[in-house]
Amino acid sequence: MKLKTISAIFLMFAFLTGFNSVRADSDFDKAILKGKKTLKEGMDKSDASVLKKARGQFERILQLKQQPWLVNYYIALADYGLATTGMRTEDKETIKKYTESGIDVINKSIDENPDFCDSYVLLESLNFNRWQYEQEKMQEIITATQSADAMAKKLEANNPRYVLVTGISQFYTPEAFGGGIKTAIPTLEKSAELFKTRQEKSELYPDWGYDLALGYLALSLLKRNDDGDMSKAKDLIDEALKINPDSGFISGYVQKEYKTVSSDSK
Amino acid sequence: MKKYFTKLIALLILFQCGNSFSQDNESSETSQVTVISGKVTGEKNEVISGANIVIEGTIDGAVSDDNGLYDFETEKTGQANLIVTSIDYATKNIPIDILPGQKMVLNVKLTKTEIKTDEILVTASSFTSGNNTAVTLTPLEIVRIPGADADLYRAITTFPGSNQVNEGSRITVRGGNPNEVLTIVDMASLYNPFIFDETFNTSSYSTINPWGLKGINFTSGGFSAKYGNVLSAVLDLKSYDMPQGSGMFAWLGLANASLSGVYLSDNRKIGATFTAGKLFLEPFFAINGKHSEYSPIPQSNQLGGTLSFKLGETGNLKMYGNYSDDKVGIRNAGPTYDGFFEGSSKSYFSNIKLTTAPSVSTLLSVGGSFSLYENKSRYGVLNTTEKNIYSKGRAEFTLQLNNKTDLNTGLEYEYNEYDIIGAVPLYSYNLALNAPSVNLDTNSNSGRLGAYLEAQIRLTDDLFVIPGVRTDYHSLSSKASFDPRISFGYLVKQNHTVRGAFGLYHQYPSLLDYSRSRENELEPESALHYILGYEFNNDNKIIFRVEGYYKDYSNLVLFNRANYFYGSEGDGNVKGVDVFFKTKISNKFTGWISYAYSDSKRRQFDAQILAPSNYDITNNMSIVGSYNLTDRIVFGLSYKLSTGKPYTPVSGSTFDSTMNVYVPIYAQTNSGRFPTYDRLDMNAQYIFSLFGKFAVGVLAVNNIFNKDNLYDYTYNSDYSAQLPIYTNNKRTLYVGLGLQL
Repeated sequence: MKLKTISAIFLMFAFLTGFNSVRADSDFDKAILKGKKTLKEGMDKSDASVLKKARGQFERILQLKQQPWLVNYYIALADYGLATTGMRTEDKETIKKYTESGIDVINKSIDENPDFCDSYVLLESLNFNRWQYEQEKMQEIITATQSADAMAKKLEANNPRYVLVTGISQFYTPEAFGGGIKTAIPTLEKSAELFKTRQEKSELYPDWGYDLALGYLALSLLKRNDDGDMSKAKDLIDEALKINPDSGFISGYVQKEYKTVSSDSK
Repeated sequence: MKKYFTKLIALLILFQCGNSFSQDNESSETSQVTVISGKVTGEKNEVISGANIVIEGTIDGAVSDDNGLYDFETEKTGQANLIVTSIDYATKNIPIDILPGQKMVLNVKLTKTEIKTDEILVTASSFTSGNNTAVTLTPLEIVRIPGADADLYRAITTFPGSNQVNEGSRITVRGGNPNEVLTIVDMASLYNPFIFDETFNTSSYSTINPWGLKGINFTSGGFSAKYGNVLSAVLDLKSYDMPQGSGMFAWLGLANASLSGVYLSDNRKIGATFTAGKLFLEPFFAINGKHSEYSPIPQSNQLGGTLSFKLGETGNLKMYGNYSDDKVGIRNAGPTYDGFFEGSSKSYFSNIKLTTAPSVSTLLSVGGSFSLYENKSRYGVLNTTEKNIYSKGRAEFTLQLNNKTDLNTGLEYEYNEYDIIGAVPLYSYNLALNAPSVNLDTNSNSGRLGAYLEAQIRLTDDLFVIPGVRTDYHSLSSKASFDPRISFGYLVKQNHTVRGAFGLYHQYPSLLDYSRSRENELEPESALHYILGYEFNNDNKIIFRVEGYYKDYSNLVLFNRANYFYGSEGDGNVKGVDVFFKTKISNKFTGWISYAYSDSKRRQFDAQILAPSNYDITNNMSIVGSYNLTDRIVFGLSYKLSTGKPYTPVSGSTFDSTMNVYVPIYAQTNSGRFPTYDRLDMNAQYIFSLFGKFAVGVLAVNNIFNKDNLYDYTYNSDYSAQLPIYTNNKRTLYVGLGLQL
């Protein structure tokens, strides 16, 4: 009886102590989830002020000194979003500022956790940005993107975001350079399939990209415009909007393209 | 018992909850909210948007808006540290005392992480590339300049004030000699970065790969106290500390092939690069024809690489090694000997450099280098092997005193050894196989200790000055030099800068010159530089520069006819104006025009009276343009025009019956001028995909109009007829293909 009593007290104490740890983790979790929400809003609207807000949120989360590699990943992702806002206005200074910051931060993340595929996917995307402002370093840019690509593939070849970035690159790369929609379509289809069944290891991990995969697939079909492509594109757009109704990319760009192509067809 | 157990559990639960409650409210006795707000600005009161403000150890904070304003609430009280960060600005830590329920206003001023002086720190006569904001030449431009053949030095000669020696990579600056231009790579002096150097009628090429350079700073005068033992110009090159990734690149052309690679470890702490190249001219001659007789035809090999280690957060250790060799035999019909000039050389160079930041405001670099250059020349009775060894140890220290002032200091020791063995003609005009000769077998060496101290000071927002002093001591001559120097830059208004420099520069003569002096008593050659210039720079979209200069030379090496020794009685001066205009139009066109006027006179070596210096090119102009026809096709044109360089004509001859040769009688030194030189080159690059990889194809046509530019004059055996020797750089076609592997 005495032994049972002591064991019960011990277990209860351990549970209560663990409960506090869970509470501490949930502060971190809550903060990450809140930051992710702000970041998504900023990305969806391509709104620099919201993206800066999100970036600041993640910078402050670093103070909690938990999983800094994950926090730095999101800071770098915010930088990538901010660099993209610069592309709309062809503001090379903004593109350069946030791309260089993003590369620095994602490299810190990789230093802390070199086995996270999404970090290399983001590094590859950031290096693509460098074509906008330092073309003269083309050999260096190609080397950096190829290295990041190889590492991402080695870690998780079926990461839907890795496949998505490959597909987007093929979409924008001219056929003569090994790209083109013929190459992009199967890649984007694969990405969309992977997203469909994807279960992230944690709700804290990145989960973006499904709407982008569907959106770029729709754009590819619109470009190809074979029989049935228009209606497939429409289905994809509808599906993307169900997944992410706030996606500025889908509603502000892909839908417009669809309307333009469909009115040209008439 | 059961009751007791139940009570105990309840107490434990209450204890834990109470503990959590007190952890959530650790520093406060009441949960009153404090509001902290303010404005974030920079040094010039510019608004900083996106700055992050946070209380250390918490997530309480905010981001500054587009007006620089921020505000947030916190329940934390007591002593705390407010951390403010923003991209491109130094982190600021502000101790605060948070009173509960109060409203605190904290305005924050941030300073840029890069020293602001960098923005207009480009000194007079400088052209730079790389991370410096005032970039005027990128590696891509170097590769694309028609006629430059992707050679850094040849590309530099499209800027005013510098000229090629014999259409090669050796350059002269503002009328000076080629040995008055110093190349530095990662703190190491590079004395022989060329192949086919000093070879008869063969253009030299450099062995430096421009793609490996993160920074190129070429200064044609008024350079800082950091650089010693150099009279005219400095080419300061910085290579990448660490590769950006892993990959390989192969090149195959009509005249050469190369393979290069970069490696970066997964943890990005170890990096390596390598380059291997070979020159083979058979296919090139098959297409373009040979314009001289060769035996052997020019051939060259090169192998080099780097190894880098990242040490901690701020340290980097880099090792660099390079080997190159070349060989050529080219026929020359001279007045006394008609045969092949055979030249070959081997060059080894290695360098190690350690860089670290002992604190946030200091930087320490320590390096050591070794180079060995061996050159064999054979023509008629001339048959020599020369060897030059240089080794150097150097340390540099930078201290950022505040955001307006940097202090730089450095110490270096350089050892030089020179050997020459073989036969040289007793009379320079008689090179026949049976001509009288002198057998040489000499070895000499010297050490040079140098130190400098320099400050980079931003006196006002628009004015910076760089005063410095340097001293050197030469062991062979036991002579010391002292060089005070100053340069300045003044931002008259946005985009308009005035730059100037004034200072004393010394260079010790070569060991060969010392061997010809009486008891090594030569003084260091001296030049006083006066430079003043103006630049308009509209964010590198338009750059316009005009710069005037005057250099006063003294203690130049001069042959003393009274005692047949070399002394230091020579002198001279050079004055001139350089004009440079460069423009970029969208991403389609880049082009520039450079013009230089120079009047250079020296009493040096054999010139007993003040005469035009050996490389006095009075008027020199380059026009370069590069146009992106499409995203994948780039087309370039380059045109060079310059007045002829001086030479010493032969005005007559006398017959020497003892040697059965005619002895030339020379006119006044450098009293003749070569004809005007001009040349038009073009190239085209096509970027495409091959086997799914990035590829670039190049087509180049040099000397489109097939102009016969003069290399030198020779004479018939009795010097009654002057015979031109034209350069071998006739109209040539070159194709090449590069592939990222």
